[in-house]
Amino acid sequence: MSDLKILYVAHNHPTLHPGGAEAYALELYKAMREAPRVEPILLTRIGSNVARSRVSHPGTPFSAVNGDPGQYFVFTETDHFDFFTLTSRDKSLYTRHLTDFLLAHRPDVVHLQHTHFIGVDLLSHIRRVLPEAAIVYTLHEFLPICHRDGQMLRTPGDELCSEASPRRCNECFPELSPQSFFLRERFVKAHFSNVDRFLAPSAQLLDKYVRWGIEEERIEVEEYGRLAPAQRAGDPSQVKSPTNIGFFGQLSRFKGAEVMLDAMAMLEPEAKAHLWLHGANLELQTEEFQADFAARSSELRDRVTFRGPYDHDELPRLMRDLHWVVIPSIWWENSPLVIQEAFFHRRPIICSDVGGMAEKVRDGVDGIHFRAGDAWSLAQTIERATGNARLWQKLRDGISEPYAMDEHVEHLLDLYTETIDSRKAVAVSA
Amino acid sequence: MPRATVVKRLRKALDGDEGDLKALLREEYAGLEVEQRGELLERLAESVDDNGGSAALSARLYGVREVLRERLPVCIVDERQPVGLAVEAILAIDERSFWINGWARDEEEGSGQIVVVSPEGCRVELGESTFRFERPDVVQFYAGLGGAGSREHGFTAFFELPAPSRLGAGWVVELHTAAGTAVEVQCPPVNADPKMIRATILAELANHGSLSGPLAAEHGRHALTRLQERIVGEAEIDSVDLYGEQPSSPEISVVIPLYRRLDFLEHQLLHFSTDPELAEAELVYVLDSVEQREELASRARELFALHELPFKVVNPTAGSGYAGANQLGISVAGGRKLLLLNSDVIPDRPGWLGEMCRFYDSHEGIGALGAKLLYEDDSLQHAGLYFHRLPGTEVWENAHRFKGLHRSFPAAGVAQPVPAVTAACLLVDRERYEEAGGMPVHYVQGDYEDSELCLRLARAGYENWYLPAAELYHLEGQSYVAEARREPSGYNMWLHSELWGETIAATMESFDPHATAVAS
Repeated sequence: MSDLKILYVAHNHPTLHPGGAEAYALELYKAMREAPRVEPILLTRIGSNVARSRVSHPGTPFSAVNGDPGQYFVFTETDHFDFFTLTSRDKSLYTRHLTDFLLAHRPDVVHLQHTHFIGVDLLSHIRRVLPEAAIVYTLHEFLPICHRDGQMLRTPGDELCSEASPRRCNECFPELSPQSFFLRERFVKAHFSNVDRFLAPSAQLLDKYVRWGIEEERIEVEEYGRLAPAQRAGDPSQVKSPTNIGFFGQLSRFKGAEVMLDAMAMLEPEAKAHLWLHGANLELQTEEFQADFAARSSELRDRVTFRGPYDHDELPRLMRDLHWVVIPSIWWENSPLVIQEAFFHRRPIICSDVGGMAEKVRDGVDGIHFRAGDAWSLAQTIERATGNARLWQKLRDGISEPYAMDEHVEHLLDLYTETIDSRKAVAVSA
Repeated sequence: MPRATVVKRLRKALDGDEGDLKALLREEYAGLEVEQRGELLERLAESVDDNGGSAALSARLYGVREVLRERLPVCIVDERQPVGLAVEAILAIDERSFWINGWARDEEEGSGQIVVVSPEGCRVELGESTFRFERPDVVQFYAGLGGAGSREHGFTAFFELPAPSRLGAGWVVELHTAAGTAVEVQCPPVNADPKMIRATILAELANHGSLSGPLAAEHGRHALTRLQERIVGEAEIDSVDLYGEQPSSPEISVVIPLYRRLDFLEHQLLHFSTDPELAEAELVYVLDSVEQREELASRARELFALHELPFKVVNPTAGSGYAGANQLGISVAGGRKLLLLNSDVIPDRPGWLGEMCRFYDSHEGIGALGAKLLYEDDSLQHAGLYFHRLPGTEVWENAHRFKGLHRSFPAAGVAQPVPAVTAACLLVDRERYEEAGGMPVHYVQGDYEDSELCLRLARAGYENWYLPAAELYHLEGQSYVAEARREPSGYNMWLHSELWGETIAATMESFDPHATAVAS
């Protein structure tokens, strides 16, 4: 049997735009490269919104990545992307360039991590160009369901939304008609019908997609596999007084930046908690948000320290003096990678009691839940957690090792083979 | 000399040297009596037929008119003078028919004769049927004169000329009062833009609250019908762009007018591309918003490359409305059956076209066959049309059976004959379509064409059917702004009732739109 060729597609390269799905895509690609008889290719989108200059050559959107023959960038103009229908307005991206790319590599499996900036048309196009290829799609958020950046948060009040419909979506976006939302849903679903297998890193995400209309037999839960860090963070110097809380991730409204700062401002004066913000992408937020964030964190400088973006390799060092990791997102999340990072370094988690956070962090076992979006509830939780060394130790002991990348790789390879076989069976019977 | 000979001689001179014509007029005819000159001028003007004239000939005739016509004193509008006359608009419906708007006041309050003189010299007396209405501004202006007579100084009329008029200016209107005063005024330049005229006339009908009153019946209807014919007639096929290999002898042609919302094309092609039956049909798009031609061409090229589903795009020279666009599409369609479809219709699932065709073929004598159409929330948009008489009026309105109920409503799940079906998705045999006279063009901006088509098919002896097995979504009204359609809609409804009221009444006697019995 010849090598298994797998094409991974992601909407960004993690070195250009830090993000969970991006980081995972690169890790998975690297892990697959180590697997025997597997030839992975990673195609990541690059565009004017993430790169300072146009990183492509005349006549082709493709370019190489850091000299790695298995990695490519595909350049797409941000302006060409229709953020509503999730399609590229420039159809030659599919009919010319991606056709050439697919035919040049002829992958057995195309495993999509994301189609943002490339467009859902890619799914139908893969099926047309490579009828036998298995198409696998990992869902990282709710963009196909929800026009509000895939957050499933309603406007204007940020209540969590559990079900989309043309009528409900029009309530969130009165300027867009229910009919437009209907067309959007039909459009995305028509392209999604070409996917053989959907992977949901969390059960709650699977539930929402099934409710939206993906058949249960076409989707399964498969957690992100992770490479264990080469080095684990040691114990914090202060174990008697677990006062240090770390935040890792994008500093945005949806990630609960405001909830976190509000909570820190509400702490009792004698509370000893300190919050360390390791936040990225602040510059991508609205100016208003950035100004507000700067003002608030400066008011709270005795309790909050902003330490800026971090490199993944720095984690053991950054985690070392932390006792807790906080995940205060106001949206459902999927399966936040930071949970796995914290657990690798055996740091219990304080998180919102909804969605992927509530599913992956067990309240009272390896972390503590607070009421999502509720700063008061978070403040109380922080006071309780930081003043209780025994609780900290107990939760720390409750942590189990995250899902390992090699197990994940093994599972995916089985899944790819199965899917290829069932495609062949379909082809024969047809 | 016999008058006919004089006219012939003048006609000949009109085609000859201009100097000779002038000399002839001066020497031989300018000295005639007023009445003789007038009659001669009229006969000369009327001698030009529809095909014979030209703008140059019209200009010559205008010159003749200026020599021969007896001029009346020019009316000076003055609040102390009882006789007043003004013309505010002359709209050219086509070369022979016009719409005029103005006001006239005389000593006797309303008994004067208004005579319109075309630049070429034709005279038309606006008769009894002229629509007169109160002009508060005119009443106010003459308040100082008192007067107990009619306050309806305003006049509006549709009138026809015995010969075509092609000049943009030179119209004169005369007022001959019962008391013997005669005055004239020059008219403003002629407005000849059919779409602007259509909007103006509809607005006038609406302003007089008479979308169905005498202004509509005696004037508006004639003007709008001719305008529609002109608009549709003037739109010709400029080009047909072919995308992909077209079916050589298709069973079905799907005809889809496109108006403004070009994004629908992408949605339809995506959903059609997963249905093998659509690949066998001939897909004919007709661009009614012609200003989008380049944009559509570039999208169409890309979408064909993406979906590889063949289709063609008809590019007309001008927009002609829903019926006009369909006519153009049908004129290039080669199918034995026509499936008229709106661009905002998206199939629920593949197979609908085959369902419709098989049903059509397996039942004898079907005229139009309609589908089950759904709103985006899975409620019924269409399960067959019937007619509903507006309480207290003679006007019939198109109504949709079970509209707004859930798609699973049992009575909407039964295939049955219905009075009419919507052309948002309508299958008809091409020969039957033509036998019945096709789709009427006299409605303004897409409305009631479908029910009239169905009534025409019924008159030709066919039965219209509803088929629930074909299910599609219809995102009704997304390409028009509802407000923009309000005026035409009221007019269309009235015209439809005017033309078909008796047939409709008879049809509705034997049709119960509320019947919900479902055979087990």
